[in-house]
Amino acid sequence: MCSTGGGPDVEINEKVKEGEGKRYRCGECGYTFSSLSRHPICPSCQSEDVEQI
Amino acid sequence: MILEPGAGDLFLIQGSSSFLLGGVVRERFALPVNAVDDVYFEPVRPGDLVCVSAPEGGSLRAATMLLLLVRDHHFPVFALPKGHPGSTWVPMVLSTAPSITLSCGIVRGTHPDQHLLCSSAELAGIVLRGGVDAVTVEGLPAGFTISYICVDRALAAE
Repeated sequence: MCSTGGGPDVEINEKVKEGEGKRYRCGECGYTFSSLSRHPICPSCQSEDVEQI
Repeated sequence: MILEPGAGDLFLIQGSSSFLLGGVVRERFALPVNAVDDVYFEPVRPGDLVCVSAPEGGSLRAATMLLLLVRDHHFPVFALPKGHPGSTWVPMVLSTAPSITLSCGIVRGTHPDQHLLCSSAELAGIVLRGGVDAVTVEGLPAGFTISYICVDRALAAE
């Protein structure tokens, strides 16, 4: 691997271990899903009306 | 530098031995990121970037197909755990985010949800910020070429 440049090396599986993965329910279609984002989008209907469960 | 790719255009940052192909997202969707334990749906919004990095260069056509599969067809991406042998067999990597920083100090395939994208050393440090009308590029070293390329032409390239 090269050695210059770069930033904080935080991998997705480390984020999951740290509990950043949350469960959400869509307020429009009721679909439940996981996301690492604080402002996720429902993968079923693309609504932004979602709440953490 | 400010880029203004047209609705049917991608932008190409070409170095001596590597390149980055980027496009702007036009519709809202949830990108499935398959991790070891679950699938995480990450939000992608209009103006966000979808970038494919080819640290050793390679086929522009393949990079275009990869970009379009995710941006236009919302195909899932895969996140590899640290130490996975598959990391050494990934010739191109992709990331979606409002802003993307190219880095050669990360392991390929482990950061699909974030602002970091694995690149060659010659592209490392470049920062791209998306937008509906324009893309801002910072940290571009001398000797690089930037061009717009229409999707049809990119798909015909080899």
